[in-house]
Amino acid sequence: MTTSVTPAGAPPRRAGGPARRRRPVKKIGGTGLAALLMLGPALVAILFFRLVPAVEAIRTSLSDPQGAFASYARVFADPAFLASVRQTLLFTVLVNPFQILLALGLAVLLTQRLPLVGLWRTLIFLPAALPQVVSAIIWGVMFRPDGPLNAVLGALGLPHQPFLTSKFQALPGIIILVSWVGVGYWMMFLVAGLKDIPGDTLEAAKIDGAGPFRTFFKVTLPQLKRPLLFVLVADTIANFLVFAPVETLTAGGPDHSTNLIMFDIYERAYVTGDLPAASAETFILLCIILAVVSIQFKLLPSED
Amino acid sequence: MSTADQPQARSGSRLKRGVLLALAIGATLYSVIPLWFALVSSVRPEGDIFRYLSPLSIKSIWPTTLTGASFRTLMDTGFGAPVVNSVIVALLTIVIGLILCSAAAFALGVLQFRGQKFLFGVTLVGFLMPFDALAIPLSQVLSGAGFQNTYDGLILPAVGNGLAIFALRQFFRNIPRELLEAAQMDGYGWWRILFRIYLPLSKPALISAALILFVFQWHAFLWPLLIAPDPAIQVAPVAIAQFSQETFVDFGAIFAGTVITAAIPLCLLLYAQKYFVASIAGTGVK
Repeated sequence: MTTSVTPAGAPPRRAGGPARRRRPVKKIGGTGLAALLMLGPALVAILFFRLVPAVEAIRTSLSDPQGAFASYARVFADPAFLASVRQTLLFTVLVNPFQILLALGLAVLLTQRLPLVGLWRTLIFLPAALPQVVSAIIWGVMFRPDGPLNAVLGALGLPHQPFLTSKFQALPGIIILVSWVGVGYWMMFLVAGLKDIPGDTLEAAKIDGAGPFRTFFKVTLPQLKRPLLFVLVADTIANFLVFAPVETLTAGGPDHSTNLIMFDIYERAYVTGDLPAASAETFILLCIILAVVSIQFKLLPSED
Repeated sequence: MSTADQPQARSGSRLKRGVLLALAIGATLYSVIPLWFALVSSVRPEGDIFRYLSPLSIKSIWPTTLTGASFRTLMDTGFGAPVVNSVIVALLTIVIGLILCSAAAFALGVLQFRGQKFLFGVTLVGFLMPFDALAIPLSQVLSGAGFQNTYDGLILPAVGNGLAIFALRQFFRNIPRELLEAAQMDGYGWWRILFRIYLPLSKPALISAALILFVFQWHAFLWPLLIAPDPAIQVAPVAIAQFSQETFVDFGAIFAGTVITAAIPLCLLLYAQKYFVASIAGTGVK
């Protein structure tokens, strides 16, 4: 499964290329210096915009006036924070399988031979171009008590729903609106992966008499492991960081049901003004993300 | 026997194709209808947006009167400045980002030097750290350093982009090494090789990288909310979110704002869809 792909339009590598690459390149003066100058800005960007804030979060979390670990003790004793972690994990467990299964299903569907399949693919991809906050605003109106969704329910003879104003429906509502912009995006990665699967392996499965489901699980899915792992990890990280819809629509409510951790951190830092606690939460969030992503890498080893 | 089976099998596969097509159209409608609703709501009189919803009819999603009033209202609230800011910030992010990312990709993918593997690992891990999770501590650091409400504060954190670097690196590695060796014979230095040979050959990868940089910047919300809250330098997503939260909401103007904020990335991605797909291939997920 290491069909290394040439990006579209890349000049084909000539035969014998890899062998020639081994040969040490004739020295140009100052390769080390050139490398340093070329890579330098990227390393500086990592240092200042990734490493420094991470260290700053840890430093601030430990510089609580009441003692080094007081901020951690405070957040872990706070039922609001624990509820926020619980809701975030619930959200994660719901939204990621939902998005990935939908993206996978659509990717498979839209790589079949269907009339106008390219058009459907492009149209389904459209919302992915939108910022999440735009999706939040549009769906905020869709979900209104007097909005289009309730109009549809009414036309079908179904009772109106409270949607974002219900503590049971608000989180699913957020899932719907982040998936509206998310699914088409992840679908494109899986479409690219599916198109990369050599047709003859599918042909061979057919000749061996495997049905479509058997072919999918035994032939297609194993060859889709790499893009699937990428989508799983990237999507999971992105969904841990959902903020705009909560900030714009629900402010964490009703009854803390949509108080996802990024919003809780934001409120603690800028509304409550408790920076050490907010930083402690940031550090805890980074640890949760790291743990979950490591588990995903373990469950789905990328090398065959 | 087989001739008797065939028509049945064919009608079965036709049924299957019909179901699949229906699914595809259903998913398409789910994707497109909210967009369409936003567009229609932005060009009809504000009072019509909810008026025709009950009972549901074609008028619910088809404007009976066309008007630019909502766009005028929106512009009167000063939405022009955030859109201009967003465009400036996105363009500068692309220009600076392409230079930074292609130089880094060249160093990591073409040059050969001691410690390269290690620095590749550093770049990989560094850019894997989720930026939004670090936005709040970063804004503490940068606000203290005078970056609050500046273009620098909006642009600089977005110019180093891991996906863009990896897409470019992958592309550079597929350029035949012979070109490089020939240039070396002619006495080209590394910078000239990058700018005169590699970049001109890498247009598709540069467009992909530009799209990655653009989308990251245009979709950003938390970071610009923290670093550039001042209305004079606000970007479009922050401005439209704030506008949508005001007490006396004008839904027509809100939809006009979402349409403008959405139209720019929508047109770009539609125009360059094949490069976006290529960028996915280029990041090495395939």
